[in-house]
Amino acid sequence: MNARVSPEHNLRRSLEIQVRVLGALLMRETLTRYGRHNIGFLWLFVEPMIFTLGVTALWIATKSVHGSDLPIVAFALTGYSSVLLWRNMPGRCTGALMGNLALMYHRNIKVLDIYLARVILEFAGATMSFATLGLTFISFGILAPPQDIIQVATGWLLLAWFGGALAILLGALSHRSELVEKLWHPASYLLFPLSGAAFLVAALPPAAQQIVLYIPTVHAIELLREGWFGDRARAIYDLSYIIPFNLILTLSALLQVRITGRDVVPE
Amino acid sequence: MIHVQNVHKTYQTRHGKSHVLNDVSFDLRKGEKLGILGRNGAGKSTLVRLVSGAEQPTSGLVERSMSVSWPLAFGGAFQADLTGKDNVRFISRIYRQDFEQNLAFVEDFAELGPYLLEPVRSYSSGMRARLAFAISMIIEFDCFLIDEVSAVGDARFHEKCNYELFTKRADRAMVMISHDATYVRDHCNRFGILHDGKLGLYDDFDVAYSEYAKLISVSTTAYATSKFVANRSSPMEVQYQAALADEQFMFHVRRGDWAMEKSAWSEAEDEYSAALKLHPYERTYWSQHGHAARAQGKYTLAEISYRNSCALGYPLPEISPFIKDAMAHQSVTELEYPIMSYNKGVLSTQPPVSNDVLIFAKAFWGQLDVTDLELLDLIRNSPTLDSLAERMLVDEKCIWRPGGAPSALEQMSRAITGDDLSWIRTFCQLGGAGLKFANTADLIERFQSQQDLFAVTIKENWFSEWSNTSSTLSEFTAAYSDLKHELSNVYP
Repeated sequence: MNARVSPEHNLRRSLEIQVRVLGALLMRETLTRYGRHNIGFLWLFVEPMIFTLGVTALWIATKSVHGSDLPIVAFALTGYSSVLLWRNMPGRCTGALMGNLALMYHRNIKVLDIYLARVILEFAGATMSFATLGLTFISFGILAPPQDIIQVATGWLLLAWFGGALAILLGALSHRSELVEKLWHPASYLLFPLSGAAFLVAALPPAAQQIVLYIPTVHAIELLREGWFGDRARAIYDLSYIIPFNLILTLSALLQVRITGRDVVPE
Repeated sequence: MIHVQNVHKTYQTRHGKSHVLNDVSFDLRKGEKLGILGRNGAGKSTLVRLVSGAEQPTSGLVERSMSVSWPLAFGGAFQADLTGKDNVRFISRIYRQDFEQNLAFVEDFAELGPYLLEPVRSYSSGMRARLAFAISMIIEFDCFLIDEVSAVGDARFHEKCNYELFTKRADRAMVMISHDATYVRDHCNRFGILHDGKLGLYDDFDVAYSEYAKLISVSTTAYATSKFVANRSSPMEVQYQAALADEQFMFHVRRGDWAMEKSAWSEAEDEYSAALKLHPYERTYWSQHGHAARAQGKYTLAEISYRNSCALGYPLPEISPFIKDAMAHQSVTELEYPIMSYNKGVLSTQPPVSNDVLIFAKAFWGQLDVTDLELLDLIRNSPTLDSLAERMLVDEKCIWRPGGAPSALEQMSRAITGDDLSWIRTFCQLGGAGLKFANTADLIERFQSQQDLFAVTIKENWFSEWSNTSSTLSEFTAAYSDLKHELSNVYP
């Protein structure tokens, strides 16, 4: 009945469908969340920008001690933007499937697509906010431009990878147990001060250093800060820790999505 | 083709596993339209979801070599915050369709006007249904899944939908589930019955429907019926809904309706009779029954039925021309036998219906059958239930009457040892208005342990608010106290 298709052709077709579905979901998601009123989808990055600005202002006002001679503005921007990046993704993905169960009737839409669309949207928002604020500060001379932009991007992407994988894992688990959503909220608040956003590892006592280096986000933020400030950041990180960590996290996330997808009952 | 083979589906619930589908298999080819009948919760929607691919079977195989729609007219897929237009855009993107062309079609078909630019949240349920159906039609599938489409919109829109589905897309395959068996009968060429997780397949609707009736006949209806014995003023919808929820009732009513379509009056009369046996206090189908009887020239029967529906609250202006006609054929007029309709008073002041007569005949006369003529005579001449009870108590056939029929006491105990005691439940409801089911169950047990109905009626002080009836009953007891020695073994 069907013409024979080569495996390559098949894969390309599947990819094309995947891209199309993700595109449609992204548009739908953006419209649903931000609507067409006032600045519309600009809220996507204006909201995290306001967050970051507020926190930066607070840190300046209270002259936060962060254990280095790095300028406080720069420190706050890199720190708080990173927090927004990995923390908002799981927040948006837990319970995401429940509200979109009806979409499961469209055979091309898979459970993973729903999570991916939200992760991409969060990533775009946080990245635009980070970039816009960074450029603004630089052009006003408040902030020196990054020394190694590639390294900054690498740190940022590693962080996004961690956040995305965690988001998909928690999203898939949250469909089976309400506990996940309940526990994620306190956990995300508790992780915030430990995530590396508010301190430099080098400024900590060695015993504490050993402990915080178990937390993957610390490595990514250190990497990012080294890219921005160079040696002044006195960065301590280990790529051979965070990359395998992210890989394992991703695999377990995909596994959980598969398990959830098998039992999902459209409303 | 759709190939479903040995499909099982179990759900984990709080009280263990529920086996919804148990080894279901069928093939569906192009142009075939499979209609599936089954009770609520039989697994019809589950089967549709499995065929659509939205859900996976626990075991077994579902293969699709043609494109299959999502369940038609299904509004759940809308994002309520988005406008109708945005929803069309979304579907067009997912299925790579031309958005402008689709939008034009939806605008034309759903007739939403400017509302297409408003969030779906602000739509009425009818508007949502129209949008959902229109969106379902913009993608051309080989096989359409239809879950309760008959609920969509008004008659004119319904007509439009039917044209799109069954005329323009007559060559497609369909899987249809509906509570409306008529709809399934009219639009399908294969029929399935889903019962206890098994799917039976039939090519002939009548065979399928008879089989279905056999399968559902185990359901009991006594509770639904007796709820309305005392409270016949319950709103039409409540009573109607109770009757409609009873599939046995619906089964007979539908067959009655189809027989009426074909002018098969006697068949229709039989079906309505069977239905009304289950729900004797349902007013709508009494008038239908009356029409079926009148068309055959059975004017006595027709008049009884019309009077029943009137007494149960069917609007008098609608029914009175028919009653008058039936009476005219029997050479009597309304002046002699006025038409009594439902009033807002207490139960004892309501006009009686035939079921009341039958219950009293069993209780007071120990008689299982009453002729139509006798029944009509009693209904015509008893403006209220109270007067009916009194009339039947003083009748010479009454076995409760002291010194009435010979060996009355013997008959009394015989009257209540029949196999079917459900009528006693109704009698309890009539006499001891407000009795709860638990009480009636307890009472029935007492009757079965050789206590007689008369003794219980007196002891429980039933009919005490029925003035004529209760005074007749106290005359009886006074007379009996003279014969106390004879009674002592019946009620100590």
